[in-house]
Amino acid sequence: MMAGQKLKELLIRAFRLYTLLVTLITVLMIILGNLLDRDRVFSYEAFFSPLLYALIGTAAAMVTRSDREPSVRNLIVRKIASLLLIEGAMILLALNSDSIPTEKSWVIPGLVLGVLAVFVLSHLILFLIDRKEAGKISTDLARYQEKQMSGSNL
Amino acid sequence: MKLEVRKIPENEPEMVEVRYHWITDEIQEIISFVKSRQGQLSATRDGKRFEVPVVDLFYAESVDDRLFLYTAADSYEIRLKLYELEDLLRNKSFLRISKSMIVNLMKIASVRPALNGRFSAILKNGEEIIISRKYVPALKQVLKGGDS
Repeated sequence: MMAGQKLKELLIRAFRLYTLLVTLITVLMIILGNLLDRDRVFSYEAFFSPLLYALIGTAAAMVTRSDREPSVRNLIVRKIASLLLIEGAMILLALNSDSIPTEKSWVIPGLVLGVLAVFVLSHLILFLIDRKEAGKISTDLARYQEKQMSGSNL
Repeated sequence: MKLEVRKIPENEPEMVEVRYHWITDEIQEIISFVKSRQGQLSATRDGKRFEVPVVDLFYAESVDDRLFLYTAADSYEIRLKLYELEDLLRNKSFLRISKSMIVNLMKIASVRPALNGRFSAILKNGEEIIISRKYVPALKQVLKGGDS
């Protein structure tokens, strides 16, 4: 396969994951913020947070990906490494941020659980997108087979 | 090896004749090529030679430098490299779907998602094989009318 096409597929996957993570992180922040820290006031800079966190998540997923076809075991290990990398990065970011009240006991566990929820949800949604794509391939395949069969009968 | 190419009158049938002292790898390769052009592949099973019709082939897989052909219920070994077989079957609805496998698109019943962006092809005999993610764009292109 051409390198350009491969790069295009990679960028599409990365962009798809990024937009998905931005959405999920925004939703998670709204839910957790409303439940746990309703009175907190942010500046407009807060709008950048989901974009930055999603970038970290996407970078971690891209760093741990490989062109080699992994076995199921390798794949699980790689996913766990990816999750730990994201969790570590987010905790470091939270500890160094003035706007995240890490002194409160629920913040770090909440963050860890939130990242886990986003990680699981993003994989679930990507699987559903792949399922839709597989359905489209199956339809195209049936059409291709029909065309080949009718062509061979000419 | 001497090569003779001769033009013949139109009322005579076209033919390829292979004259040999011993069936060497080179001779076998020539025979396999001609047979593949006729829609058959020379392969072996349990030490016996078989002519496998290309249309019956489900997929071919390279395992430890040996190439195996799979039909609905049987498997055969063929003395070719995977890329050589891929070349022979070009434009015959066969497509590379992983580093070690080519599949007959006419024998796929459906496709479903596997792990990590890969897809599984469910064959018409119920077997399931993995389509590597790097070959998925090529598959989509062929199904949309590109070259196989």
